[in-house]
Amino acid sequence: MTEPDVVTVRGLRKVYRGRVVVDDLDLDVPGGEIVGLVGANGAGKTTTVECIQGLRRPDAGTLRVLGHDPVSQAEQLRPLVGSQLQDSALPDRLRVAEALDLFATERAHRGGELLDQFGLAGRRKSAFASLSGGERQRLFLVLALLNSPRLVILDELTQGLDPAARRNVWAAVRQLRAAGTTVLLVTHEMDEAEALCGRINVMRAGRIVDRGTPAELVDRHARQATVSFTMADPPAGLLVELSRLDGAGEVQREGARVTVHGDRSMIAYVGAALVRWGRVPTDLSVRVPDLEDAMLSLLAPEPAAGAPAVDGSGGPGLPDGIEFAGGLQ
Amino acid sequence: MSTTAMGRLVRAELKLMTRDPLVLTFVFAFPVVTMLIIGGAFGTAPDPAFDGVNPSHWYVASYLTVVIAAIGLVMLPVHLASYRERGVLRRFAAAGFPRWSFAMAQLVVGLATTVVACSLLLVVAAPVYGIPAMHDWWRVAVALPLGAVAFVSLGVLLGSVLPSARSAQAVGLLIFFPSFLLGAGGPPPHVMGAVVRQVAGPLPLTLLTNAVRAPWLGLGPATWSLVAVAALAVAATVLAARRTAL
Repeated sequence: MTEPDVVTVRGLRKVYRGRVVVDDLDLDVPGGEIVGLVGANGAGKTTTVECIQGLRRPDAGTLRVLGHDPVSQAEQLRPLVGSQLQDSALPDRLRVAEALDLFATERAHRGGELLDQFGLAGRRKSAFASLSGGERQRLFLVLALLNSPRLVILDELTQGLDPAARRNVWAAVRQLRAAGTTVLLVTHEMDEAEALCGRINVMRAGRIVDRGTPAELVDRHARQATVSFTMADPPAGLLVELSRLDGAGEVQREGARVTVHGDRSMIAYVGAALVRWGRVPTDLSVRVPDLEDAMLSLLAPEPAAGAPAVDGSGGPGLPDGIEFAGGLQ
Repeated sequence: MSTTAMGRLVRAELKLMTRDPLVLTFVFAFPVVTMLIIGGAFGTAPDPAFDGVNPSHWYVASYLTVVIAAIGLVMLPVHLASYRERGVLRRFAAAGFPRWSFAMAQLVVGLATTVVACSLLLVVAAPVYGIPAMHDWWRVAVALPLGAVAFVSLGVLLGSVLPSARSAQAVGLLIFFPSFLLGAGGPPPHVMGAVVRQVAGPLPLTLLTNAVRAPWLGLGPATWSLVAVAALAVAATVLAARRTAL
């Protein structure tokens, strides 16, 4: 049975000082999944999730988050949502243990366990200002998970983390999904999106330009693979045969380096041909497209003229993390 | 959530306040040190320049409002602007703290700080200069809390308007020092020139100091000053509440 959507957004629009930052955006986040919102800097990702959290008031559109309107029912909604926000901080002199006390509601449990899990147990008495960038990110994640939220919004989750810490955090996010928590992950790190997300929404200039599983996006936008190897004096017949293989395209030769372009089905045929010719190279390398290639293709600058417009904003949105319009926030 | 959240926020903010060097310097140390220096500078003999009262007592009665001004014009604007600039308020909002709760917590923390810092000032002044007798205690008892509310609200307002901690510090100090010199901790009005006295007269800190000092030392009721401070308290609170969605 499919879980009902935890987040439903229809026709979201947000304008800052006459500039359209989010434009007619639709987004669904099914329950129990990790859904990615990816795109270049300034695509409007952070503004979108801030509207979902009720931190910004949309100019148009309807939003339902766990059955609540994020603006008019913020008090009911916020205890159910855990957030790890981009470009935010805690008071410099607040200690780690005090931060847990401050943010813990009646739904909070296992604060100590979370500190252990994220390697912060020994930093309980440390002030926020004394934490490294990675420790701060991990503390934000602990705070986001502290109150057993039903939806977790993670914005640039692993910014500033070293590779080992990233893997640790990724494992924690997968555990969340296993426990039934829904995760909306905002990132411009494609390896992170590919590793964690079941579905990905790609944003460009305030709009969703495509959505699907990572494999579907790669298939649609980055089919090309390359096989390359070194062969000092390749037989002419071999090069001709390689260019005629199923799925093969151009064959390039630069000095002793031979590169065969084509779709992914070509890879096996190239290997078989090399074996058949008895010329098996020792340095054969295969590059298959990944989500990053798909994104580069999908988010590449459009031709100046004749191409359909992606949105009505006439330009890129404001940078993510823009100041709040008024008041204390 | 709200009451509990407010309680947690106030508790955390009170702890943080005691660790803030700006607060410790400006709110606790500065008024005490300057009061000790200037209170001793003019002696203890009644002086016509001080409306015929003991100059040391004049300054002891004046310096409680210096504490209030330091909280409202320096501590709170810098604190709030810094939180907003660094995304601390955004994090609090996302975590479910109602928008108004932070401003309300600042009000509580500001008033608590006022009580502690004023008490410290009196404790230090007592053995050195003595605490002057309070002639009209109820007016003082009304003026001090009203002034505290007025300046704390001004601080919340400034902190919510100014874009960064640096600008809040610059603007706060620019308002604080002239107010301090002209309206509370500087020379008495009688030795000021006519123009300076005219400039000093309507300043909020001058009005508050007058509303506290005059009834305290038996120099008159200072009713209009008290009314002006009350009006300022109402206006600043309403504006701060509107600005912070209170």
